[in-house]
Amino acid sequence: MLEIRGHARGGQGMVTAFEILAKIFGQMEGYYVQAFPAFGVERTGAPIQAFLRVSRTPILNRSKIYTPDLIVVFDETLLDQVPIFDGLEKNGAALLNTEKPVERFKNFTENIFTVPATRISLEKGLGSKALPIVNSAMIGAILKVMGEKLDIAEKIIADNVPTKPEENVEAAKMAYENVTGPDETYTYIVDAINSNKPKVMSLSFEERSKLEKKHIEEIPRYPEWYGPMSKNKTGNWRVLTPEYHTNEAPCSLNCPAGTAVREFVKLAGEKSFEEGFKLILEHNPFPAICGRVCPHYCEQNCNRKEYDDSLNIGSIERFLGDWMKDYTPTPVEITNKEKIAIIGSGPAGLTAALRLRNAGYSVTVFEALPKAGGMMRAGIPKFRLPDEVLDREIKRIEASGVEIITNKKVSVKEIENDFDAVIVAVGSHKGYTMGMENEELALDGIDFLREFKLNEKTSGIKKGDKVAIIGGGNTAIDVSRTALRLGAIPTVYYRRTRNEMPAIHIEVEEAIEEGVNFEFLTAPIALKKLNDNEIEVTFIKMKLGEPDSSGRRRPIPINGSEYTVRVNHLIKAIGQEYDEYVFGEKIKTKQGRIDFNSKIPVFCAGDMAWGGTVVEAIGSGNLVAKEVDAFLQNKPYDKKSEVLHRAVTPKDIKFEYYPATPRIKNKTHFDESLYMNFEEVVEGLSEEEVVRESGRCLHCGDCFECGNCFNFCPDAAIYLDEKGRLNINYDYCKGCGICFFECPCSAIDFTLGEVEND
Amino acid sequence: MTDTRTLNEKISFERHTPKILKGNFAASEAAKLCKAGFIPAYPITPQTTIVEELSRKVATGEMDATYVNMDSEHSVFAAAMGAAISGERVFTATSGQGLFYAHEVLHAIAHFRLPMVVCNVGRPSIPWNIWADQSDSLAQRDTGWIQLYTETSQEVLDTIIQGYIITETLDIPVMVVLDAFYLSHTSENVWVPEQSLVDEFLPPKKKKGVEVDGYNPKVIGGLIPPDQYETFEYAWWKDVLKVEDLVNRVGKEFGEKFGRSYQAVESVNINENTKIVFVTTSTITTTVRGILDTHPEVGILKLRLIKPFPEKSVVKALSIVSDDTVIAPIERNFLGGKEGAIIQEMKRALYGKRNFKMYDIYAGMGGKDVSPTTIEKMIEKINSNPDEVIWIDFD
Repeated sequence: MLEIRGHARGGQGMVTAFEILAKIFGQMEGYYVQAFPAFGVERTGAPIQAFLRVSRTPILNRSKIYTPDLIVVFDETLLDQVPIFDGLEKNGAALLNTEKPVERFKNFTENIFTVPATRISLEKGLGSKALPIVNSAMIGAILKVMGEKLDIAEKIIADNVPTKPEENVEAAKMAYENVTGPDETYTYIVDAINSNKPKVMSLSFEERSKLEKKHIEEIPRYPEWYGPMSKNKTGNWRVLTPEYHTNEAPCSLNCPAGTAVREFVKLAGEKSFEEGFKLILEHNPFPAICGRVCPHYCEQNCNRKEYDDSLNIGSIERFLGDWMKDYTPTPVEITNKEKIAIIGSGPAGLTAALRLRNAGYSVTVFEALPKAGGMMRAGIPKFRLPDEVLDREIKRIEASGVEIITNKKVSVKEIENDFDAVIVAVGSHKGYTMGMENEELALDGIDFLREFKLNEKTSGIKKGDKVAIIGGGNTAIDVSRTALRLGAIPTVYYRRTRNEMPAIHIEVEEAIEEGVNFEFLTAPIALKKLNDNEIEVTFIKMKLGEPDSSGRRRPIPINGSEYTVRVNHLIKAIGQEYDEYVFGEKIKTKQGRIDFNSKIPVFCAGDMAWGGTVVEAIGSGNLVAKEVDAFLQNKPYDKKSEVLHRAVTPKDIKFEYYPATPRIKNKTHFDESLYMNFEEVVEGLSEEEVVRESGRCLHCGDCFECGNCFNFCPDAAIYLDEKGRLNINYDYCKGCGICFFECPCSAIDFTLGEVEND
Repeated sequence: MTDTRTLNEKISFERHTPKILKGNFAASEAAKLCKAGFIPAYPITPQTTIVEELSRKVATGEMDATYVNMDSEHSVFAAAMGAAISGERVFTATSGQGLFYAHEVLHAIAHFRLPMVVCNVGRPSIPWNIWADQSDSLAQRDTGWIQLYTETSQEVLDTIIQGYIITETLDIPVMVVLDAFYLSHTSENVWVPEQSLVDEFLPPKKKKGVEVDGYNPKVIGGLIPPDQYETFEYAWWKDVLKVEDLVNRVGKEFGEKFGRSYQAVESVNINENTKIVFVTTSTITTTVRGILDTHPEVGILKLRLIKPFPEKSVVKALSIVSDDTVIAPIERNFLGGKEGAIIQEMKRALYGKRNFKMYDIYAGMGGKDVSPTTIEKMIEKINSNPDEVIWIDFD
């Protein structure tokens, strides 16, 4: 009789492997077999044993195998955890799944066979790298060591494995061929199988008694245990490991400026308004502005949208910006010798200026217009962004020590002798042309807004005038609402539908509310001056075709659908480009360092590089500041390092743990008459509303100590440390994953990684 | 007397297929071969795979039976009772707490004189444990069921087939007992007979005219007055007296048909020179067999039938040994007595007939492994320090 004892972890298929081996011998004439596991209640990952007896005579022993002839180890991590070699017969052998040296086991037995079963199983795609299923490979190796053929085994393996029969058979074959050991077949084992005599154990009765007897500490009276968890460290059952991990939230991830949205909302909810404000400033120097004019990518990507409504993050930001309106920073000392010039005082230029000034550089900002602010100053009407808000946020940047020179239109060449580096961030203030005859009849939208805001020039628009605005972006909407306030009757003509409009959705809503007319799927094809006061515009109707490179459906003119409209003014707002004066020629621009023939390095940022919103310009300014600093300090700078990871998605959130709560919306006021009324339309939230709205945050990816994991852990493996923080005790965590599944906000990862207790 | 060692050496049985099966799968295979028509089920480790496999067999059409998932073991046995009253051939299985819970219905089934075969895969109650133990079934000795204990997967399969003959002959329910894990979850050689062979031995259940019939209504289970009650018990007692002989006869007839015979008790190496006779049940028997080569002074009295206790067979088996032979039952049960259940039955059987020195050995409870070394310890204890009751490993 041959007695085999196997050691593995639950889930590696050892019990099945031994049953398959029993079936293989059962099919051979004249073998008695007996296969069984060490009957336990353990689960995946726990160290387990299984037994196999093969004999030519009836098997007259039903106990576990204490004195095996062959020891088989499926998992090499067990070699140092479990007394594998206990009771091995004097001439017995061991078969180990390992590719490491086995010299250290030589004092247990000289007869060690090894097989790279893990590598073979992985090559055949059986199991995963962290949990390879090695049973078929081990069957092949065991049969080799037993001196048996593999042919009968192939069909039985294929019939008895749950999946991938061919791969399992191949794994068995490969393992069969790849066993290394002292001898090709070990005669002691072959003889043991075929012996007709009862097994004679090499260990004496006393030795066996000692080996089998478990030490009994006490004879208890009641079936009760005090602190049984501490005695039974079940952590070694674990395969997958839960771990607290702060995961990326979609609000922060989708903010082009990188604002720590989740965190400032949390602070706002705790009424820590100053801390919240300062946290925003780390990424975005314009909270009060962005709180008003940003398209709020954070809100657009808020996971709460899938539940009731996104969080009103913009208003929380606006509140913090306004709450701290008197905050004045102190400038840091200038510690670097390099002087940096920034051309353009828009959000990109000012952000970069502030970052570099705070890094200890001397920074000078040149602004062509009489006031700083770029497009925020020239393009955004007062009813969206009051001057007072803009002024104070720019003043705060000046207070940090940034010098802004206004009314100074400069080119790179003009300043290259006085500075060590220049950032060009002049924005896009030059409207595109429509490319049709009599184009001079049309006003440029961006020019109109700038002239009105800076010089209060109405460009001839009077009460009662019909104004046609061409375009679908924010400029078109701002122009229409400004014209409306001048008493005109504005109509926005857009060649696609409302769905494709690039303008901020809420702004379009407000324009409609105020009385701006819209006509969709139409584009101008000809202009004609009728008299001093009237223009005839010919439009053609459009339909939507296939999506173009922007992903929006391409507008296609419908032949014969032309019609004419008589208006007093035509304003085009079909896009802008940068003013090439700064380079003296039109060159291709991009974020960061650009190729431009200059004595000093030239960097580019803002609308002229990418984006088109305030927050994107801020993000661009942050990035360019890092790049300039790295360049000047001769440090490496890798743009790719700025790429963020995957954020928590709605399917990671357990919404059932959050009460449904309606979004607290901003009030908008549209006065009886908007004529010459440039009051801010949107009102902010009150302190109480801000705290309440902040409380709606789901805390995506960030533990907010709800205690679900603590309550649900069936092994009480989660505990509160002396500071009241949640911790996992990995001595007892079996890796069941309930904490992971019940974590409402996805702040627990559940992966194959191994973790130690702190 | 039958010695399975010599049986197993006959390597081939005609009209059989050799398979490698666990005890639980041998049980479900037997239920299928016996064409059980009604299977109420409730899972409990270590029995679960019996009813699980049966549900698979029924669901795939491999077996034609009504399979009902019940809400508890009490309900399982109540449903079994109802189906048996209507004349169905009933099979189910349970274990430990499940059997304890069904205790009230066990009495009812036996007293209603209902035939059925039920497997119990033994496990104890408290301290909580799922491993091998016979305290659950031995605690049901007085419910009136015939109890047969099995040693191998082959014996499980064969005993269930014989059990239906026995139960349907006498209208007394049969409990076939398996050791948890050592039998239920151990893969070993089993010769599975062809269906036609089983059909020839075990015909379809015959109606006796007493079954419930919707077209011919009658009352069952009404109140029985004092002057009539004993008449039922007397009739039953007359049949209880027939059980031992019937078990021996059916075991012999089974052997003629299938090539493997069985008796109420099996005597191994019991002769004039025997010094110690271990009285064994179920799987521990196998391991004791294994030490006989090195301990020729030891014999085995394996009890297959335990209730009603096979007095005649036991006395006959021991008739050959001398009076100074030690009789040592191995008890995989603790029922709160000074001695285990088996020695009580042995003493009762031998009372007034033989006066052996008897030592009771408590061993293997709650699944504690009984190895050849354990058996050697028992021999050593009997020889060196004979207390009347022996525990292993508590010194």
